[in-house]
Amino acid sequence: MKNGKLMVAPTVLWLSFFFVIPLLIVVAVSFASRTPYGQVIFDFTLNNYQRFFEPLYLSIFAYTLGVALLTTVFTIILGYPLAYFIAQLPKKWQQPGLILVMIPFWINFLIRSYAWVIILRTRGLANTFLLEMGWIDLPMQFLYNETAVIIGMVYALLPFMVLPIYVSLEQFDRRLLEAASDLGASPFTAFRKITLPLTLPGIAAGTILVFISSLGMFVVPDVMGGAKSALVGNLIQNQFLAARDWPFGSALSIILAIMALVLIVLYYKALSAQKGGKADAKDLA
Amino acid sequence: MKKLLALLLTLAAFTILGCGSEEQTAVNDDRQVLNLYSWADHFDPVLVEKFEKQYNCRVNYDTFGNNEELFAKIQAGGAQYDLILPSDYMVATMLKLDMLEEFNLDNIPNAKNLTPDLRYPSYDPTGQHSLVYTWGITGIIYNTKYIKEKPQHWADLWNEKYEGRLVLMNDCREVMGMALKKNGYSNNSTNPEEVKKAFMDLKQLSPLVLAYDTDTIKQKFIADEGWIGTIWSGDASFVYKENKDIAFIIPEEGTVIWADTFAIPKGAKHKELAEKFINFFYGDDVSARNYEYVGYSNPITTARPYQSQEFLNDPMLKIGEEGKGRGEWLTDIGAALPMYDRYWTEIKTGR
Repeated sequence: MKNGKLMVAPTVLWLSFFFVIPLLIVVAVSFASRTPYGQVIFDFTLNNYQRFFEPLYLSIFAYTLGVALLTTVFTIILGYPLAYFIAQLPKKWQQPGLILVMIPFWINFLIRSYAWVIILRTRGLANTFLLEMGWIDLPMQFLYNETAVIIGMVYALLPFMVLPIYVSLEQFDRRLLEAASDLGASPFTAFRKITLPLTLPGIAAGTILVFISSLGMFVVPDVMGGAKSALVGNLIQNQFLAARDWPFGSALSIILAIMALVLIVLYYKALSAQKGGKADAKDLA
Repeated sequence: MKKLLALLLTLAAFTILGCGSEEQTAVNDDRQVLNLYSWADHFDPVLVEKFEKQYNCRVNYDTFGNNEELFAKIQAGGAQYDLILPSDYMVATMLKLDMLEEFNLDNIPNAKNLTPDLRYPSYDPTGQHSLVYTWGITGIIYNTKYIKEKPQHWADLWNEKYEGRLVLMNDCREVMGMALKKNGYSNNSTNPEEVKKAFMDLKQLSPLVLAYDTDTIKQKFIADEGWIGTIWSGDASFVYKENKDIAFIIPEEGTVIWADTFAIPKGAKHKELAEKFINFFYGDDVSARNYEYVGYSNPITTARPYQSQEFLNDPMLKIGEEGKGRGEWLTDIGAALPMYDRYWTEIKTGR
């Protein structure tokens, strides 16, 4: 026991120095005010939190939630079949399949966003191809709109959806499907009634990962969205740089973190309810 | 679950973004070190090497992406830089907060060759704490292939024909300043009525905007994505080299002029070496070569004989030179900044 405590000491130290203390500083700054030159003055004020309730900032939060929701839905639609495909590959092909999903992560995210710009811009790969094939007469405007933002975010976050779903599919007992088929269920019914419910924890884990990551995005809207539709991430970034308003930026960050925390709690609640349900099923069997 | 964790950790490891390098300390190197903190790609590396050889020193070149990053780092202390390159308005801020050393101009004899109209700018009237290194002016860039009537005023951007083809800088002060100038006000106005008028105009303009972009605006005009927009003279010159269809004008009603300047932060350990560095880069032949590398007008008046014909004839840089008198320096608007930022946020949300 004593040794065990000793072994976690470095982790605890690490976390307190590089996680807890910085977080406390952010909380402290969020209640401070600032001079016109951006110096932080520690007088206790709730102004920064009050400002959040102005319609302008509320609308940015609402818009961000909408974009995050759309991103999550699209990653499920694209990620589930991909995960399913990898999970049903012969064992020796599954690992390479997963590595292919992860390879893009070896390249810096900013560079990958600019790569998308090169593909989608007016003289980019996609337009050149379509023009050469004679399918269009004028280049199409793929970039600098909301669709481009969604494309970029779905692309960036897809692996966070694929991997948890893959894990739940991998653990999934395929004999259940045979049993369902024997009992006369069509493949679709079997999927809907057996595969989907049993892989729901994977989808839920992926949803949390994707949703929370997309809440904090700011590179994609700038690079692929033409910086026209600000997300909360852009708003926060701007407060820390151009606007020199660290207290307001900190308050926005804290609000975002609390939103994420609430979602995680809801997720665990839903998950434990689910587990309870499963236990019942097992008892019956 | 273990497998999932391992996978996620691998992902996390690769997601970490590369951050700016911290100061390196040479181990077996007793040469003096000049810690330089500047914009990326701001000096011809061959000339930096030449300086190192000539003064038997080592230049440690760190980069920042914007003035606020520079300001935050210097204000936090600890970062031991000897030479920094703040922009005009940031010099004003740093002077107010007493963050800059006074030059010993005996070490910078070449400073007398700096063009007189940039020697004592309004943000540093004594010229004792900052020296202009690069400067530029904002104008209208347009593609003559698509835009047949030559724009002359900022108001010409407000034209529905340019919908989805207009590119503005992703910079609050630049864009707000442009709209203020359009209405005949100062681009440093702190009068709420004037600023609001500028904002209302921009709100009307925003549906026409293809993108707000400062970092890669050049590519947008090279690739014909943007047909008309606002751009700095140095960037216009860069675009012109790749796309001869573009033209550039400085509107009569005035515009933003900016400069990145040499300055020495308080407490710099190698002040004299920093001054020698400035002097070196102000040298006639060195500056001639260096400004052709970085692509900005050379503010050293005595360097012309060393310059190539191509550089002297660069039409974009010429237009910038001629329009210099129409430029107004941005000053630190201090208490009015939150008002600007609020309007800017509202423009950028597009709702």
